[in-house]
Amino acid sequence: MFFRWNWVACSFCLVLNICSPDASGGLVQSCGHIIPESPVLALGSNFTALCILNETCLDFGNIYANQIIWKIKNRVVPKEQYREINRTVSSVTFNDTSSLATPLTCNILADGQIEQNIYGITVTVGLAPEKPKNLSCIVHQMSRFTYVMNCTWNPGRHTFLDTEFRLRYSWPEEVFPDCIPKGVNNSCTVDDIQFFVNTEIWVEAANALGKAESDRLVVDPVDIVKPLSPQNVSVSSGILPTILKLSWENRISDAVMTLKFNIRYRIIGDTSWMEVPSEDTASPRTSFSVQGLRPYTGYAFSIRCMKEDGVGYWSDWSEEKTGITTEDEPSKGPPIWRIIDASHSPASWTVHLMWKALKPFEANGVILQYEVTVRDKSSLSSPLKKYNVTSTNHTLQLPKGTYEVTLIARNSVGASPPSVLLIPASNSEAPVKNLRTLPKHDKLWVGWTAPNNYVLKYVIEWCLVSSSSDCIIEWQIALGDVQGVDLKGIKPFKCYLITVYPLYADGQGSGQSVKAYLKQDRPSKGPTVQTKKVGKAEAVLTWNHLTVEEQNGFIRNYTILYKTIDGNETVVTVDPSKTEYTLSSLTSDTLYTVRMMASTDNGSRTGPDFTFTTQKFGKGEIEAIVVPVCLAFLLIVLLGVLFCFNKRDLIKKHIWPIVPDPSKSNIAQWSPQVPAKHNFNSKDQMYPEGSFTDVSVVEIEADDKKSFSEQDLKPFDLLKKEKSTSEGHSSGIGGSSCMSSPRQSVSDSDEGETTQNTSSTVQYSTVVLNGYRDQTPVQVFSRSESTQPLLDSEEKSEDHAGGADSTAQRQQYFRQNGGQDENNTDRPCFERAKQITHANEGDLVGFVQLQVSGQSSQPLGLGMEKNTQEAALSNVLQTCTEGQTVRPETVEENPLSVDDMPKSYLPQTVRQGGYMPQ
Amino acid sequence: MAAADSPSAALRRRDLCSRGIRLAGKMRADVVDLLDIYVEQQGLDASVSVAAVEGVPLAAVERWDEQTGTQRLLENLAAYRAFRALLAQMLEEQREQLGEADAGLGRALAAVLLQVSAFAYHLEELLRLESRGIPGEEGDEPPPLPRLSLFEQKLRGLGVLRELAQWAVRSARDLRQLAKPSPATGTAPGLAESP
Repeated sequence: MFFRWNWVACSFCLVLNICSPDASGGLVQSCGHIIPESPVLALGSNFTALCILNETCLDFGNIYANQIIWKIKNRVVPKEQYREINRTVSSVTFNDTSSLATPLTCNILADGQIEQNIYGITVTVGLAPEKPKNLSCIVHQMSRFTYVMNCTWNPGRHTFLDTEFRLRYSWPEEVFPDCIPKGVNNSCTVDDIQFFVNTEIWVEAANALGKAESDRLVVDPVDIVKPLSPQNVSVSSGILPTILKLSWENRISDAVMTLKFNIRYRIIGDTSWMEVPSEDTASPRTSFSVQGLRPYTGYAFSIRCMKEDGVGYWSDWSEEKTGITTEDEPSKGPPIWRIIDASHSPASWTVHLMWKALKPFEANGVILQYEVTVRDKSSLSSPLKKYNVTSTNHTLQLPKGTYEVTLIARNSVGASPPSVLLIPASNSEAPVKNLRTLPKHDKLWVGWTAPNNYVLKYVIEWCLVSSSSDCIIEWQIALGDVQGVDLKGIKPFKCYLITVYPLYADGQGSGQSVKAYLKQDRPSKGPTVQTKKVGKAEAVLTWNHLTVEEQNGFIRNYTILYKTIDGNETVVTVDPSKTEYTLSSLTSDTLYTVRMMASTDNGSRTGPDFTFTTQKFGKGEIEAIVVPVCLAFLLIVLLGVLFCFNKRDLIKKHIWPIVPDPSKSNIAQWSPQVPAKHNFNSKDQMYPEGSFTDVSVVEIEADDKKSFSEQDLKPFDLLKKEKSTSEGHSSGIGGSSCMSSPRQSVSDSDEGETTQNTSSTVQYSTVVLNGYRDQTPVQVFSRSESTQPLLDSEEKSEDHAGGADSTAQRQQYFRQNGGQDENNTDRPCFERAKQITHANEGDLVGFVQLQVSGQSSQPLGLGMEKNTQEAALSNVLQTCTEGQTVRPETVEENPLSVDDMPKSYLPQTVRQGGYMPQ
Repeated sequence: MAAADSPSAALRRRDLCSRGIRLAGKMRADVVDLLDIYVEQQGLDASVSVAAVEGVPLAAVERWDEQTGTQRLLENLAAYRAFRALLAQMLEEQREQLGEADAGLGRALAAVLLQVSAFAYHLEELLRLESRGIPGEEGDEPPPLPRLSLFEQKLRGLGVLRELAQWAVRSARDLRQLAKPSPATGTAPGLAESP
């Protein structure tokens, strides 16, 4: 480790001022000093300093050398390094100056242990200069007569000291002023240099510790000249189109040196330089004709020079100058191709001829026009057709056939060789095989396997596939001996359709196509998926293919990712050709999120999420439930209907309790014309349907007891008597109907309690007077749905005939009726009574009339009617007065009273046609 | 001549001759350029005729082709020593007249002076190779030139430069003559060339 020893030399002198005996004299005297004074020491060397005390101080201050303390800066030097030479001199020794620091002071420890400084010195430590190395010089030409010599060298290690470098040069008898570098220590420039004399050049380095010289370089400055480059370079075209003449001026005198040259040139726009062979320009000159250039081509030239013998340095390249060679006739015919449009007519073609403009080095000038010649090869007699075209395409309408098209390009000098294109009637020759592509940096290589036949050349067509615009065809021609070309100008991430046609001497092969990408990327967007149909456990997903612009590459597959809200994502890979996929095994009535990813070789892109909910029921499930239920219902209904039909009698009995047929009553039995009782079980037999003309219903509310007070009933008694003698069966029946619920008697379709109320209903029905089927009508009273107590005995007998069950039911029926409809029997009875009362209030006779109003014109027997009315009224009164409950006893009692009743039911004489309902 | 027989001496001689020839050519070119500058700067007419200047050796010599090599070297050395003194005088006079106002002319004069000195060194070296003693210069210092008027100084300067240009041509031819590998060098006449 080095310390930085490059201290500023500053005198440091701390003087211990001690008043001398003659201090009154005013002089201040130092008590000692250090030898050497401010030394410059070599780094790493040893060093000894002496501190010498003045004798005068010894006596005055009792100061001696053994009291001396040495310090470096503020650090005391170890006493081992001290040496007391005598009583006034102390030395200190440092074995390595690298441990030194400045200042080095000599101090004294006076009485009272007070440390006082005697003297101090500055120590400078550094290195002697090294020998400068690698001295080299170049003479730069600054102007035509001015030269400067710049010399550089390696100054060697850092010395930590001020080191002076001098560049010295001399002739044997001439010493020149030294060149002293300014600001640097490794180069210097001499501006007064003379040629043709060997000059000795060297560098001297010197500092306080020493001096060093470089090796001496003896050189004639003319041999180290870097001349200025030629100036005023001009380029002129010569007679020949391949030559340009270059002229220039040299800026160095021939008296100083003769020059040789380098000429370089390049085509304008190119970056690579070509160089004229150096041996062609190795002699002094001021012009040169560059040959072998392209016609009508711009060139840039540059030139440099150096001493002819090659000793020295090349000048810089001159400023570029440009020139253009003259025109020459085109070197080759333009490549030609065609597009045939046969769509508008099967017999003729629209032939779009197109050719490429010649490259500048082929055109050798400005192409003024193209000459197109078309020859019909299928008809030898047809004349040649010539067209002069200035553009690079031409459209012809030609009959379908085989043609030979010749194209010539012309410039101001001449015509190109012809380009020939054969257009056969059909591309019947063999195509290329194994067409393939391979990206190569920014080019797309297209390769193929040649057909077996000899191919003149290949035409490679390509176009950018777009979903929005037509394929704009580009093309190029390759020679027949190649099996691959590089397509330039291919954009990355775009789909290209490439077609290769082999051209034969006598025809053309059909094109083979391939799609290719120069570089693929992941799709720019993902497919948008949606559901086409959603079921219970499956969903049919549909999507559209990405457009070719969105694909950015070949779609290798689609990936469907779907999941429930809280479920894991399921991934399905789908063939890229499909646009529909059915997800199966889904959970019913569940929300699914589905998205779709399109993948190319270089990545994937996912489309937007789509959600759908599976159905709760699957297809046909509802039908499977509803239809059987309906069918079952229908079946039940049907069975019910059948049952009802089968049991209609039974039902009928329940709905329409069998009213004892008056015709089967004792009266009927009583009547001599009436058949035997047992023959009247069926009303149908006696009164077939249709024989009833009407039903008369008389309803009397029996619950209004008050309205049937004793007084009120008196007229009834009277009426009874009257009616008992009157003829008229309906009034008597109607009277009794008042005792039962008139509501029930109105309709036989009522159900439930209504049906049960029938027990209180007395319905007297038609009296059929018509004869059955031309039989002599029997005058009978027909009664339906009557529970008239009077007829109970008949019912009973009939029930007996029908079976014990029906009897029991009947009894039950009446029992229920009486028990359940306490109130009901009241009100209807009252209501009906009100109606009756209403009639009675006016005229009780009117009531009777009312009951028989429909029969008023008929000659009814009052006595008969009176009896009937009487019986009915008695019943009414009995029911209404005795209470709401109709006890079985009451029912039982009725037959007893009924036993007397038949006397009042006499066969009625009605007019022919039967009894008409009211 | 013994030294001239050794190959190294021959190479050295050839090298000196070669450099001397090129230096003479360079010197002539520079002097010609300097003449143009000088005439312009001093306001002289380039076509002015200047009589022979005292102390300036003449380049033209009769029977040049009959001179020996040593003769040539000695004449050249004498001439260039004279030119060195004359040019130094001119340089001093020019500095006195123009001061630092025209540093270009001064630098050009100094450059030519250096070349003259260098050429004199070449000649001395060649004479050494010829094992000839180098003649001492006449006295330690050249005789002081007569004090001239300013115009006379200008004309003298013009005459010095013109004559130096002539000498540069002659010197080049002398050295070419010396460089020829002729065994009779020094005794036999060289090519019949006139300066």
